[in-house]
Amino acid sequence: MPASASTDPGEVSDLDLVKRSQAGDTRAFDVLVTRYRGRIYAMTYHLIQNETEAWDLAQEAFIKAWRALPTFKHDAGFYTWLYRIAHNVSYDWLRKKKIQGDGEFDDERTEHRVAVGAEATPKGDLAPDAAMTNAELGQRIQQAIAKLSPEHRQVIVLREVEGLAYEEIAALIPCSLGTVMSRLFYARKKLQEQLHDVYETSI
Amino acid sequence: MKPPSEEHDLIRWIDGEMNETEIATFEERLKQDPVLAKEARQMRELSTSLRTHLPAEMRVPHADYFNTQIEVRITQMALDEARAKQASPGLGAMFQWLRQPWFALAGTAALAVLGFFLLNPATGDASESMIISSYTPNTHVQARTYHDSAADATVLILDGLDAVPAERKVSGINIQRSEVEPELASTTMFDSHGTPVLMISRDALGNPMITPRG
Repeated sequence: MPASASTDPGEVSDLDLVKRSQAGDTRAFDVLVTRYRGRIYAMTYHLIQNETEAWDLAQEAFIKAWRALPTFKHDAGFYTWLYRIAHNVSYDWLRKKKIQGDGEFDDERTEHRVAVGAEATPKGDLAPDAAMTNAELGQRIQQAIAKLSPEHRQVIVLREVEGLAYEEIAALIPCSLGTVMSRLFYARKKLQEQLHDVYETSI
Repeated sequence: MKPPSEEHDLIRWIDGEMNETEIATFEERLKQDPVLAKEARQMRELSTSLRTHLPAEMRVPHADYFNTQIEVRITQMALDEARAKQASPGLGAMFQWLRQPWFALAGTAALAVLGFFLLNPATGDASESMIISSYTPNTHVQARTYHDSAADATVLILDGLDAVPAERKVSGINIQRSEVEPELASTTMFDSHGTPVLMISRDALGNPMITPRG
């Protein structure tokens, strides 16, 4: 699971801050918010791909965490616990958006149709651009991720951003290990399609 | 379409999840299958790019306001709980809003402070009143408070604020209750007559906005 942020020797530990927060100390909770808002916001942003919504959902995660603090048992790290809350808040939002149906998240239709080793490059008309800058590549990657389904986006963020092991992803979602690997495969395949001009020219 | 196990092998190879024997077997297969080898290399490069371009930590826009809004909502929850407890005899008297959240503008110091004061519900002791939410655009300013029983007032202390000229008027507003409107992301504050006097919200750019009402 994601590790807590490294703390300076003189910095108050998460455990102390959580205990004070559980006693109703909002100042202590504010320190925790400040300590983890950047990581929680990054996660919601990568999942939602919308700055405003990600900001609101990150905030929602902290509010839910505050309300759930009395049930926090210290058997997991605070950040791991907070991360689960933020993940669930964001993923619920994504699923609701998907149910509302607005033409997004259409990549499942390619699942089970693309085989390992199959040509991932559609015969598109994007010109290869070997000189693509780092910033441009970053933008292309964000755009490609925005086109993924919630399920595929979820595994990419959990694996590539948070670095979770397959078992941890399976426990968090929750689903089987096989499903995690299949989703990772098709999510990457889909991204490869979106970014084919980048990787066709780079090898 | 190939069996899922082959997809899984590719994924595990990319993610470094194979043991040495599995790696040797899979890489032998790559030598025999140039199409698969090409895809494997491209997918691994994609994975590297993703890790580079998707940071695990990002700067939060309007970070101070992000925190403040959380405090406001927590305060509102505390208020709701207080109201619920007030419904039961005996407990209601333990909760009172002390004097006022303060709204002060101090010229070039450009300080705005909003504080919510609450008696410690465990003791009901006025000397233990505390700020449970505050907002200071100037982050060097720290707000704290205590209850002065002789004056029968809550004293707000602003550490780090430049000296305020004696002639400058600082006004306070007596707030009795507040209401949060989640859809508008705003909080409206009411005086003892139930008249709205202040609204906190966000402008189109997400910046905090404090609007006098009434």
